[in-house]
Amino acid sequence: MSISERIAATVGALLLAGSALAQPVPAAPASAAMHHEGHRAAACASPALACANAASAVFDARGALWLAWAAAGSVSVARSTDAGLTFGPASVVGSPGVALDAGSDARPQIVVDARGRIVVAYSAFKDQAWNAQVLVATSTDGGASFSAPRSLSRDAASQRFPVLALRSDGRLLAMWIDKRTAAAARRKGVPHAGAALASAWSDDGGESFSAERVVQDHSCECCRLAVAFDAQRHPVVLYRSLFADGERDHALLTIAEEGEAQAPARVAEDHWVIDGCPHHGPSLAVSPDGTLHAAWFTLGRSRQGLFQARSTDGGATFTSPQRVGDAAQQPGRPAVYAQGRAVWLVWKEFDGQRIFIKERRSADAGQTWSADRVLAATANSADHPQLIGDGRRVYLSWLTRDEGYRLMPLEAP
Amino acid sequence: MNPICTLLRAGAFVLLVALTGAADAAPERIFERDSYAQIRASHAGRALVVHLWGMTCGPCLVELPQWGALLRKRSELPLVLIQVDPSAPAARTQRLAAAGLTRAENWSAASEFDEFLRASIDPAWPGDMPRTLLISPSGEVKTIRGPARLAEVERWLDGVGAAH
Repeated sequence: MSISERIAATVGALLLAGSALAQPVPAAPASAAMHHEGHRAAACASPALACANAASAVFDARGALWLAWAAAGSVSVARSTDAGLTFGPASVVGSPGVALDAGSDARPQIVVDARGRIVVAYSAFKDQAWNAQVLVATSTDGGASFSAPRSLSRDAASQRFPVLALRSDGRLLAMWIDKRTAAAARRKGVPHAGAALASAWSDDGGESFSAERVVQDHSCECCRLAVAFDAQRHPVVLYRSLFADGERDHALLTIAEEGEAQAPARVAEDHWVIDGCPHHGPSLAVSPDGTLHAAWFTLGRSRQGLFQARSTDGGATFTSPQRVGDAAQQPGRPAVYAQGRAVWLVWKEFDGQRIFIKERRSADAGQTWSADRVLAATANSADHPQLIGDGRRVYLSWLTRDEGYRLMPLEAP
Repeated sequence: MNPICTLLRAGAFVLLVALTGAADAAPERIFERDSYAQIRASHAGRALVVHLWGMTCGPCLVELPQWGALLRKRSELPLVLIQVDPSAPAARTQRLAAAGLTRAENWSAASEFDEFLRASIDPAWPGDMPRTLLISPSGEVKTIRGPARLAEVERWLDGVGAAH
């Protein structure tokens, strides 16, 4: 390292030691932000929905739509009573600034329980080693105000990619990707592959979480998790696992009793060996009859692209992977949703000029599927598609830079 | 925010810019949809190594110092770095400095590294990180997925006659 590099490293470390990374809630350090902003006249710098790059939606018990989004370093929430055409005043839940983890597969999460309590979770980087923490904020006054974001875990290691899943009995499950097993191995000087899946439960609308634990080690570090509940209301999580041979293929984990995870089942032998970050997580849905529907992306030795499979034995075995979408148009970012016997699958494609959301649907719990069709398109940057339901209809929730937010009802199969 | 603290931070950043700028540091450039074409044009006719990395990509951060080591070994290494994650500029600068990459040509995206940005580099790239592109003087591109083996990069550099 040259002298100038040593000085730069030292000053950089000094700067970081006092920067917003050590204090996730306040805005970004003015000096760094201003320096950067000077170079990016075209950047969208408002926390408003118009500047958002990721949005997550959910219906409350009364049928109102709640949206949580990440924009310009802030996480905000607003409510719509006209199916996403207009939104009420936005509440800024947190503003970690440049420390907000909102790129690629990371996005804010939102649930609204039967009592109208709103819980928002997101991750933000917390230290100069670029470790993150999962932050949770709650509202008990219908979104008029939110609690200050608080860290879900007190563990010093990194926590990212939170998922909130509300069970039918009102219990709230949080799952995330946690680096504590990797950090412990590093302290001991022993090699460790990947990160871990961790979970915690809340019985008070997100005010507090308990029973925090690592449920499975050796997951991919950078791919979102897909969490659902099986017919017995046990949590099931589909995730990109890191197998002993360095293959980042998908596995399904059922958490039969609190924290007592069964051995994960490999969904498919894709054989994707990469000592890197795919940045591409799966989707999972469960039909009332217990059929599991999985969709995932791989660049494995056995297959490359977007695939789907189903399991009728609780995830022990899956059908042979079926290709989804046009392999020439980068199909990816799947979202699957089940209601009754109906199943919908949507995903993103890109032809070099436009981004498309395509859809296929099944009327028989995933045994047979319709032809693919284009649901929506845009000619500029676009978020991943999401599927949500209000108990009656199922909707595509999609955010695009040019068109803004849209909620589109899907046809029944 | 405490005003003294703000002043100190601003001062530290100015100092950082001044110190790195006074040496042979390359200022960070903002990577946009036409940036890769600019990079290719400005290096046309010569061997070029483009390394794609991300601040939130653990394997990328592990790999980064290897590139610093190669730059020390081969001072003429034609290396361009492109950072893809939304992140703190100061943290990026610190990472590059710690990896010994202060003087490498250095770009960073100002927005989500989406389909359009990826397609400007490689239309078939779904976003996995890290990646290294070995671009021959005639424009042939060889893509390394995941961390690069530097021996392979060196063999390639020697094969295309790149200066040390």
